[in-house]
Amino acid sequence: MSLKLTLHTSPDVPLEAPCLNPDTLAGMTADIVAAQKVMHGNQAASVGDFFKVAGKANGTLELEGDLSRVKYIGAGMQSGILNVTGNVGQHLGAGMSGGDIRVDGDAGDWVAPEMRGGRVTITGNAGHLVGGAPRGSAIGMLGGEIIIHGNVRNETGHAMRNGLIAVGGTSGDFTGVNMLAGTIIVLGDMGNRSGAGMQRGSIVSMNPAEMLPTFTHACVYRPEFLRLLLLHIRSAGLPVNDDHIEGAYDRWCGDVVEVNRGEILLLNGA
Amino acid sequence: MSETAKENIKIVKHATCTFCGCVCDDMELTVDMDAHKITKAKNACVLGRAWFAEHVIEDRPAAMVDGKEVSIEEAVEEAAQTLVKARFPITYGLSDTTCEAQRQAVAITDIIHGTVDTTTSVCHGPSGLAFQGVGESTMTLGEVKNRADFIIYWGGNPAEAHPRHFTRYSVTPKGMFTPNGKKDRTVVLVDVRKTSTAPVADIVIRVKPGKDFELLWALRALVKGKKVADNIEAITGVSMDTLTDLVERMKNCRYGVFFFGMGLTMTRGRHFNSGALLALATDLNEFTHFVAKPVRGHGNVTGADNVVSWQTGYPFGVNFNLGYPRFNPGEFTTVDTLSRGDADAALIIASDPASNFPKAAIEHLHKIPVITLDTKETHTSKLAHVAFTTATYGINTGGTVYRMDDVPITLRPAFDSPFPTDEEILTAIRKRAHELMLAKSGLGAAGGGGTQKVAAPRKE
Ligand code: SF4
Repeated sequence: MSLKLTLHTSPDVPLEAPCLNPDTLAGMTADIVAAQKVMHGNQAASVGDFFKVAGKANGTLELEGDLSRVKYIGAGMQSGILNVTGNVGQHLGAGMSGGDIRVDGDAGDWVAPEMRGGRVTITGNAGHLVGGAPRGSAIGMLGGEIIIHGNVRNETGHAMRNGLIAVGGTSGDFTGVNMLAGTIIVLGDMGNRSGAGMQRGSIVSMNPAEMLPTFTHACVYRPEFLRLLLLHIRSAGLPVNDDHIEGAYDRWCGDVVEVNRGEILLLNGA
Repeated sequence: MSETAKENIKIVKHATCTFCGCVCDDMELTVDMDAHKITKAKNACVLGRAWFAEHVIEDRPAAMVDGKEVSIEEAVEEAAQTLVKARFPITYGLSDTTCEAQRQAVAITDIIHGTVDTTTSVCHGPSGLAFQGVGESTMTLGEVKNRADFIIYWGGNPAEAHPRHFTRYSVTPKGMFTPNGKKDRTVVLVDVRKTSTAPVADIVIRVKPGKDFELLWALRALVKGKKVADNIEAITGVSMDTLTDLVERMKNCRYGVFFFGMGLTMTRGRHFNSGALLALATDLNEFTHFVAKPVRGHGNVTGADNVVSWQTGYPFGVNFNLGYPRFNPGEFTTVDTLSRGDADAALIIASDPASNFPKAAIEHLHKIPVITLDTKETHTSKLAHVAFTTATYGINTGGTVYRMDDVPITLRPAFDSPFPTDEEILTAIRKRAHELMLAKSGLGAAGGGGTQKVAAPRKE
């Protein structure tokens, strides 16, 4: 049986709980898990003050309840499986390098900032700065996959350097801002100023988008890599249809204020 | 003159106006000491004159708890207890008080492991983020006066908000390398409409609302000699000819300055807008000397940035929950901590969020204990659990304020107020909060069983 934590008392103020990840709790019994330290605002508390703990850690951690005030769930995770039923707060999977996080619900801002590997799946919506860089840092996500079924807000993939972000719904403004490499796929609409300051990397959308004046139209073509990627995210459950897979794409190059090696691909004739 | 003698008149020379970020320090105030009124403010602009003339000592209690008058000591005790009990206390405001008071506010936040944020987060906070991301090519206003020959105002209307900016620093004054004043300078205004600043400008560029970023980005590309989209006029409302002309002028000036306002920072794109402008200034340094400076509103909001930065390492939106400072606008900025319902107590200094914050934030303010320090009754002080009335900085109290170019200026008060200063109240709260925190951690006298020598014994 896996370890299962059910929220019994909602925190009044933000709860910082980086210990809620399968690596930290590995091998612990329910009693020891309940004694783990968390920060309730500025005061130390323990996991047991908020969660009912059942089972024993075996690499899979189940969390249940409205955790929208709980921050840093799965932070630093390296392996194992973390399943959440309910919403989660900010900084989910911050700096994770492996393992699999799945949230059946919505996520707050900063989903997997500075992620280096592993996979995050959110069935609902997520906030700003998915896979982004923390303020003051120029390095966003370095690898891994983030799959969001719903919508995301601004600065998705801010300064990302590798990896994949796939969004089933819409994205906000500045999608892929300052990105160095990696791929962002948005099946719905993107907000404005996508790819501002990007150096390399690909931003893909199935809908028309407003281009910055520093991007130029290059050609219409059928990129082979995209077919494979789209099949991959379809298998992850995103609504990719055959037109997306078979279709031709307009290729825009930019950002000319940087090295102009980035691309934005928009489904032709959408 | 016999009248003057009778009326007990005092003249204060070199006084400072703290109404806007220009912080003009050449005021000559005529003070009627009997009536406690400033009757004349020589050199002040219309805003400054109103600021001095409207100042009266209000007839209200110095301290109130839940709307009832109490002694200052009782109110300090209540404030300290409230803050120490809180799990996520926030400190906010700070832009209309002295640096000395700001220091105490940061110290309190540190002691109670709270979150400190200033009104910067709702005006030029995005610029603060941009400085961090892009860097800042900066100057003092004295340099502008003496050297600048190319001035661009972007998204601000100093004619109305900072009336003496033109005459003291940026347009008309004669300086070392600008001996002919206005004749030696080219002034450009970029804004979405023709504001009252337009008559001062040699070139007025009207950008389509919400397209500042696109325009700045296009300018960056042109400065670098790159091509931009042919439909630039359709996108931004500015023709390619105007843009190329502007780029040539910017590259060929001797000393260029961007002054930017909230038209950039508070419109869609926010920190990326100011970031784009700062990056453009940096790009231009390949060709000439170019600097950029936000035109700050409140008297000492620049001081707030400076004080919070020197004490915590970050300018605003700083959290001490874990005992050390962490910076994250969006997570720790006041609009967010209130709207999300995170905060469980608030210390608000010289600011009125209850009148200008989003609805969700104001609703949350009604639910939590609020402590206010203000010179007058405000929407926030009306809902406060503990409300202090304090003396007005610059008029009744001395201290230090920072001009918008980070130059500290000393205040010369005109007359005394019956109310204590922000600094005095905050120092008292800080001391008491410190004792209570020590007691809580078992180190202080009131903690019982701990070492007795650390904290002063509690007054009963
Ligand atoms: S410009 Fe600003 S600081 Fe100067 S007198 Fe006018 S209001 Fe006061």
